[in-house]
Amino acid sequence: MRKGSKVSSNIIMTLVTVWLLIPLLATIIYSLFEDWTGIIPHGFTLANYQKIFTDTAFLTSMYQTLLVCVIPIVITILVVLLGLFVVTVYFPKLEKYMQILCMIPYTIQGVILSVSILILYAKGDTVLSGRMTMLIGAYCIIILPHIYNGIRNGMRAINMNMLLEAAEMLGESKLKAFFKVIVPNILTGITVSSLLAVGLLFGDYVIIRNLSSSNVNNMQKFLYQAMKRSSAEASAVFVVIMLITFAITAIVLTLQSRSTLEKIRNGGK
Amino acid sequence: MAYIHFEKINKIFGTNHVLKDIDLDVEKGQLVTLLGPSGCGKSTLLRCLAGLEQVTDGHIYLDGQEITDVVPRRRGIGMVFQQYSLFPNMNVRDNVAYGLKLKKLPKAEINQKVEQMLDIVGLSEKISQYPAQLSGGQQQRVALARAMVTAPKVLLLDEPLSAIDALLRKNLQIEIRRIQQQLGITTIFVTHDQDEAMVMSDMIHLFHEGKIEQSGTPEQIYTRPATKFAATFIGNYNLPTAADFNRAFHTDIPGQDVAVRPEIVTLTKQAPKAEDGLLVAEGTITSHISHGNLIRFAVEFEGGLTLNADVVYENKLDFGEGDRVFAAMKKDLVIGL
Repeated sequence: MRKGSKVSSNIIMTLVTVWLLIPLLATIIYSLFEDWTGIIPHGFTLANYQKIFTDTAFLTSMYQTLLVCVIPIVITILVVLLGLFVVTVYFPKLEKYMQILCMIPYTIQGVILSVSILILYAKGDTVLSGRMTMLIGAYCIIILPHIYNGIRNGMRAINMNMLLEAAEMLGESKLKAFFKVIVPNILTGITVSSLLAVGLLFGDYVIIRNLSSSNVNNMQKFLYQAMKRSSAEASAVFVVIMLITFAITAIVLTLQSRSTLEKIRNGGK
Repeated sequence: MAYIHFEKINKIFGTNHVLKDIDLDVEKGQLVTLLGPSGCGKSTLLRCLAGLEQVTDGHIYLDGQEITDVVPRRRGIGMVFQQYSLFPNMNVRDNVAYGLKLKKLPKAEINQKVEQMLDIVGLSEKISQYPAQLSGGQQQRVALARAMVTAPKVLLLDEPLSAIDALLRKNLQIEIRRIQQQLGITTIFVTHDQDEAMVMSDMIHLFHEGKIEQSGTPEQIYTRPATKFAATFIGNYNLPTAADFNRAFHTDIPGQDVAVRPEIVTLTKQAPKAEDGLLVAEGTITSHISHGNLIRFAVEFEGGLTLNADVVYENKLDFGEGDRVFAAMKKDLVIGL
């Protein structure tokens, strides 16, 4: 690459980065100062953070957000893994139908999904009409295409049938071989798609507002209410949501790279 | 009954009849090769023995027991696949130990067996490396160690060397043969490479379109092909029609076609002394190709018959294109098909 074009591409990259970071920085600054009407903010304060962290409603919403994120992700990963195992090993002809089924949620809007679920299930009195069940079910549907794609791409990168056959010849059952040999090799795909799912579910407001009763509050709902009270407080809530998302991403990626590093170190090359 | 006994094996995939009434015996301790072009059914038969494919019809016996419907993991058979099938998330030690751990052996015993087997395949120093850090040849040797460490009743090798470069392949052929003889393990080897089959086998079964075309020792298969297909697939046989050959050499070989190995044809500038059983004809050299140690001359005879003749290359070409030469061969080495 020519030197001139390298400089100009660096400039463009920097501008884009700054452009993306400005709203974030502005929100952080706004949440940390009492007044920001002039160019320079003044009156540094942690009061907004103190306020939300002493508010039990916020802590409950944090806990419930994590809960309604983690449960659907775990359920969907398990269902997709088992589904893909059965389809790949026993019914390869059904694979394309599974793909179509798993892609359908891409086309469904959150409003339509949540209203449809309400119409279909809310009147019954089975376990399916429980508010929490409906919410978790709806979240499973929303993240299904992402989880499916992540896992399927991971499986494509390895020769799954041959690895299963090799394990089988060594005396393993197919299902056990799947979890001992295949799953560890597609862990990267699972991790990346889970992170994507965390991002999606953390950002949800529409579905949880329509489906959950007033006693299930996620952080987006709390954020909405905080916006009505004070914009500085809402900024603080926003910053906390962002930090939690960053923390989850960092933890997962660190765990993953640590296990990779360990492998290489043990490799001793 | 032989150690491995296939009885009237048929395998049909949809409308494709892949194996047709295969009867085949393998004796204990032998290395038997299933040889044939791709799509001839040799790998399918191997996979039926492994249990990875179900036979449509027929019975398979191993060590006196029928195993036709036994699941693969209970057959006591080890297998090495064509592509590298090591588990990428496990190092060499864990790959080789996998089958032993499933047998729930004590840890010390597992370690000892793994180290012993890696020593045999010459990869002791790679014990903690991951498959991605090994070359293709090393990966296949680990796969071999992994298949053999559980002391299976039979070892199946499904074209294990086809993805490996030529020089390494030759070394591994000898290596596999050495290890097989050292451990006395009954082995079935599948390949489409006739040279590989010749080097390694006690017995070769030549497959063609789902049937066994010919069975025999490498020497028998090489020197006495029973059919035109066998002669085409093995060696570099000349396969003229019997009529053309008999006319040019004034002889009476029976059959439709004649199979002549290029190395039994000797070329001389002077007519050789007439002997009983020596076929001689005069012809013209039309081309020559160097194979390094051999020069393959094409000689055209009266009536349009062309035969290839191999001459060991010493330090100069004895003949050039357009030269008149006498081609001679022993009649009893010429095969009528």
